[in-house]
Amino acid sequence: MSAFLRSFLIQGSWNYHTMLGSGFAFSMLPGLRELYGAEPDEMEASLERHLEHFNAHPYLAGVALGAALKLEADGADPETVRRFKLAVRGPLGSLGDALVWAAWLPGVSVLALALYWMGFPGWWAAVLFLGMYNIGHLALRFWGFRIGLIEGRMVGRRLERANLARWTARLKAAVALLLGLLVGAVLAGEDGLAASGWLWTALAACAFLAGLLVGHRAWRPAAATVVGVIAVLAALGALG
Amino acid sequence: MEIVRISLLGGLLALDGTSVGQFMFSRPLVAGALVGWLLGDPAAGVVVGAILELYLLVSFPTGGSRFPEGATATVVAVAATVVTDAAGALPLAVAVGLVWGQLAGVSVTLMRRLNSRLVPEPGSRHPGPRRIWVSHLGAVLIDFVRGAVVTFLGVIVGRAVVGGMPGPWALSPAASVGLLLVGGSASIGILLRDLGGFRLRKTLFVTGLALGVLGARFL
Repeated sequence: MSAFLRSFLIQGSWNYHTMLGSGFAFSMLPGLRELYGAEPDEMEASLERHLEHFNAHPYLAGVALGAALKLEADGADPETVRRFKLAVRGPLGSLGDALVWAAWLPGVSVLALALYWMGFPGWWAAVLFLGMYNIGHLALRFWGFRIGLIEGRMVGRRLERANLARWTARLKAAVALLLGLLVGAVLAGEDGLAASGWLWTALAACAFLAGLLVGHRAWRPAAATVVGVIAVLAALGALG
Repeated sequence: MEIVRISLLGGLLALDGTSVGQFMFSRPLVAGALVGWLLGDPAAGVVVGAILELYLLVSFPTGGSRFPEGATATVVAVAATVVTDAAGALPLAVAVGLVWGQLAGVSVTLMRRLNSRLVPEPGSRHPGPRRIWVSHLGAVLIDFVRGAVVTFLGVIVGRAVVGGMPGPWALSPAASVGLLLVGGSASIGILLRDLGGFRLRKTLFVTGLALGVLGARFL
């Protein structure tokens, strides 16, 4: 339980050298103390292993954490533990990024924004966002740590059965629907583009198309243009 | 004392960004509501938060990526927008927030470089539980202090810029929101592209759009 709670801080010392390595060792400490409390040399050797470079999605890092604890408890040899961590870090990163950062987080965020622009109270939208997001977040963390602890080295099979990629695909389809909902609400909402006039609606359509066509490369120029226009308007105001 | 409270909140929200939990209190929509409540103007906080959330829809708190720090941007923007009722305060505050969010992102990169020196080297002999514990929680503390300091400086700059706004503002409040929504619309396009593009998602997207228009008109 203590290792699970510590996994919430696994990114605390994230760095470009070992990435999650130090956070992983930090999270393993309570379990390793229980296993090797009476054998300080074994404990040191195990810590050295777990300080090595590791990276994964933070919510799914618990899968590797639970499995590594089981491997240590089962007396697996150090090379097996090292190879296991090496094998799972890529999949746990890409699965988590696709499921959480590219689907769940934008999905819940878009839903809350759509409700806000439809006229729901902003506080309500913020609370809904936090509540919905964290139900999925905490469930994923707990599930991941649990299957890691139960399955150990064979956790890959359990992940395969869970078919997170299929869940991601379904979520992304739902986010596309919600994104349409948000655009409709921003277009027609009382405080949205309809109230701003055709000029801003047309410019917003251009920015939307730029994002759709060139992707993330459009973000900085779009934001910089808006900041620049605001700076020019402020300067014009100053000149009278 | 108000600026100290805001800065401490900025530090806590910065921690939520990546180091501790990632419960998403640091997302602009939530951070905006929290800071607005702290400053006695929750409505302004929510407006700023919703606009910045739109901008940062495609900014994810992945460990290794460089991204504008949404929480800092929001705290600075909300703290700046409440200093005056003048027209133009909202867009100017959001602009300062967007710029400050980028600078805060740079501070995150620098902190991660510092962390590389702080944590025990892999393969180092006798790292010891205490050394790991101290270096890890030390890094968390550094992140909190970084977030608080960057927020503190941002609030001072933001309030100076918005509070010292010298002249009249050319746009109506509705047009100002329209201008801000232009930048946010790029994020919507980017997200749709990330979801597979318009061609793949057109049925769902257009259905949602129709429902959104109806919802906004009749709810």
